[in-house]
Amino acid sequence: MLRFFVLIGLVVVIALIVRSQMIPESFGDLGHFRADAVEEAKRFEPRHLGRDVCADCHDDVAALHVKDAHARVECESCHGPGATHVAADGEGGIIRPDGKAPCLVCHQLMPARPSVFAQITPEDHYRFVGVEDPEVDCIACHDPHEPLFMDRDLRTARLHPLIHRCRDCHAGRTDETLVRPPGHPEIFECDYCHADIVDGFAERPHSEVRCTTCHLFFRESDFAGRMLRDSDPRFCLLCHREAEFRSDDAPPGIDWPAHREDMADDTIDLDKRCVDCHQDRIHPLQTRTAVGSEE
Amino acid sequence: MPHDRNRSRREVLKMLAAGSGLLVFPIGTLTASEPEASAEGAHKPYWAYAVDTTRCIGCCACMRACRDENDVPEGVFRTWVERYRIGMDGEVKVDVATGNDHVFEPVGGEVAKAFFVPKLCNHCEKSVCNQVCPVGAAYQTDDGVVLVDSKQCIGCGYCVQACPYGSRFINPETHMADKCTFCYHRLDKGLAPACVHTCPREARLFGDLNDPKSKLSVLLRQRSYRLLKPELGTHPKCYYLGLDREVI
Repeated sequence: MLRFFVLIGLVVVIALIVRSQMIPESFGDLGHFRADAVEEAKRFEPRHLGRDVCADCHDDVAALHVKDAHARVECESCHGPGATHVAADGEGGIIRPDGKAPCLVCHQLMPARPSVFAQITPEDHYRFVGVEDPEVDCIACHDPHEPLFMDRDLRTARLHPLIHRCRDCHAGRTDETLVRPPGHPEIFECDYCHADIVDGFAERPHSEVRCTTCHLFFRESDFAGRMLRDSDPRFCLLCHREAEFRSDDAPPGIDWPAHREDMADDTIDLDKRCVDCHQDRIHPLQTRTAVGSEE
Repeated sequence: MPHDRNRSRREVLKMLAAGSGLLVFPIGTLTASEPEASAEGAHKPYWAYAVDTTRCIGCCACMRACRDENDVPEGVFRTWVERYRIGMDGEVKVDVATGNDHVFEPVGGEVAKAFFVPKLCNHCEKSVCNQVCPVGAAYQTDDGVVLVDSKQCIGCGYCVQACPYGSRFINPETHMADKCTFCYHRLDKGLAPACVHTCPREARLFGDLNDPKSKLSVLLRQRSYRLLKPELGTHPKCYYLGLDREVI
């Protein structure tokens, strides 16, 4: 009988030893799992650091970035995780997007994308803006940190009095290739309010340009739905800058540095807007008879 | 003698009971122990996720960020984006971005409607994967995140089969179960998961359900949402805003 109890005792002791070896130390402290695993899961170092870290060194770019259409896009969405770049004191370790593909990842026209989001087919867009060479990259015209070249205007622009109605449908910038749908409310015809501006516009060089091409940059951002006013020269240069890739039927190109020097020779204020001299090219200015005008 | 024999049998049974009690007792004390209250006594978050399908543009920045942040090997995904295309005849086609760069290519053909649906682990309140794991490697933290203990996992794949959302996979490099962790290593550093961080459209949102003022809590009060496969009773914590009825 004694032998039997010794045997039982041995089995129990062995079972306890095996159990203590098999069950990890912290198992069961927090539940049916190893509690240490929770702390271990926290040990990895983050690789995406956020725009504030980027702005520590790139404050100039960051200042532009927050004012334009890409304000909500994190630096690391395009440039990849920044941890390696920061650890190397800014030497490498970062993606520099190249070519059209990185832009088209978001902006290629697709039926599955929300219609309010800015999207293009490169062929149509290039045809519209007069770019002949299909190999030209998006960044030839658009600075990705400031894609609409509108930073100054965003500060000075005023909200259109009816803009909230437009935003019901157009939370993003209107696609310039779209045809106005039949039955669109008359209130959105610009001449409904702005007859004096539109009058005679058909004879002017910009007659084929839609009002919305220049005036309504609908965007889902804090700056959404602002009117373009007092634009600086860069806005006009979006279409009129002289470049090799432009087709013959593109709008007249301007050699901007030379033009700027010409103006300097004539001691003209360099801050002068294009429209101050070229008003006859667009439409009369300072005619603010529209509903809700502020001045 | 028979009387004596009976007594001794009873004694044997008593001793056996005492012996087995020794084996059982420590387990009882372990499972009964409660997680210690946090030292600061501070607010304890309960993390959850929301996806606004009406905002997703299918750029897959989330997938690339997840891969870079968590070293996810090629061919497997902790999060992915599905493209739904519903034809004029009602036929539903679903595809995911292919290649290591995760880019959707435009597809021709007329569609009645089309949209993107980002997916990831739902971090279910009553997760099936936790229940089937034979070695206690699948677990849920007290802040609501379902994780894998890579030191315990034996790669049997039960959890992969059990997950009704297809969120788990066997990592081809480690040969262990792998899944979305809500980027758990970022949370206590005050950072959002990498996918939320890089989403350019704020289609992915992350927040604390225990904080009624968190952006997520406010959003879930204001907007209507759907859950994936709610009939399974897993109580997923990934809330889908504007989700089409075709999505399962």
